[in-house]
Amino acid sequence: MAEEHVTQAEAEVKHETAHVGKHYDEDKTVIMGREIPLPIYTVVYGALGVLTLIEVTLSQLPRGFLTIPVMLLIALLKAGLVVWFYMHLNTDSRIFAITLIAPVVMVLLATLFLMIVPTGY
Amino acid sequence: MSEMSIDKAPAEIPAVVLRQPEGAGGHEHNAQAHNENLKFATWLYLASEVVIFASLIAMFVLFRLHSPEAVFQVHEEANIWLVTANTFLLLTSSWAMVMGLREVRRDNAPGLVRWIGLTALLGAVFVGLQYVEYSELSHAGITLYSSEFGMRFYAPTAFHGAHVIVGVLWALYIVRNGMKGRYNAHNYIGVEIFGLYWHFVDVVWILLFTLIYLV
Repeated sequence: MAEEHVTQAEAEVKHETAHVGKHYDEDKTVIMGREIPLPIYTVVYGALGVLTLIEVTLSQLPRGFLTIPVMLLIALLKAGLVVWFYMHLNTDSRIFAITLIAPVVMVLLATLFLMIVPTGY
Repeated sequence: MSEMSIDKAPAEIPAVVLRQPEGAGGHEHNAQAHNENLKFATWLYLASEVVIFASLIAMFVLFRLHSPEAVFQVHEEANIWLVTANTFLLLTSSWAMVMGLREVRRDNAPGLVRWIGLTALLGAVFVGLQYVEYSELSHAGITLYSSEFGMRFYAPTAFHGAHVIVGVLWALYIVRNGMKGRYNAHNYIGVEIFGLYWHFVDVVWILLFTLIYLV
């Protein structure tokens, strides 16, 4: 019984190690079936750089009604990339994601409340 | 008295031992659970930071909605290229951080030291350039109390800058530990916890950069 327990625990550890190795240590990244000879972290860094350049370029152009929403979406996408890949929410426990999202929702609701009620601001 | 304690001990110890999984696998499993707890504690801490930063950002957004012309004036004074360069520094430092974590997972301690050293360096340059930016804005008459904008601008950006300074010191501590051989492929939770903090600081800047300097 004890041996069985140890075997199961070791198997779990091996499973975790394989899981980690698969996501963090590979030298290549596959995006939509296409293989890129770079780690996922470097690919994400490149995406962050390109998105930042797009944002700054948009801010210097004459503004249309979509300019601000697009810039905000790009910012959220960049933040999401960092949280998802660099902070490992893609592989870590979902409870971590809930821990992050709960206060964001709380502050958003509080801000909306401030915007709706006549505070005299 | 002490004999009584010894007599009682055997009856209590098994209850504790029964909670521990047996064998070497159990030990590793415990270490893994301990690491998960540490990470969860860090996320809880970051959640408290989210509330503070989100409140500061909300304060700025409300001001931006009610006084857009005041923000546009500051946009003209602000050196957007300097701030963009600073943004790239922080993005690069985040990449260096996660590459350092990748190296220690591969049991490459010198690689960890190099990447985290780069993280600390880039963070320090970020703080230096933020000082330059504040000096330029100050010369343009935008100070903490010069207008309603001042406090709403400096509070979130300076609070973020303070976090970068703490992060740089923390990175140097990781470098010191790395040089002493305290991290390896089986023990790198210290690096991972620091990474969570540093990437969070990066995420906050991504949002501040867009909301304060671009929109």
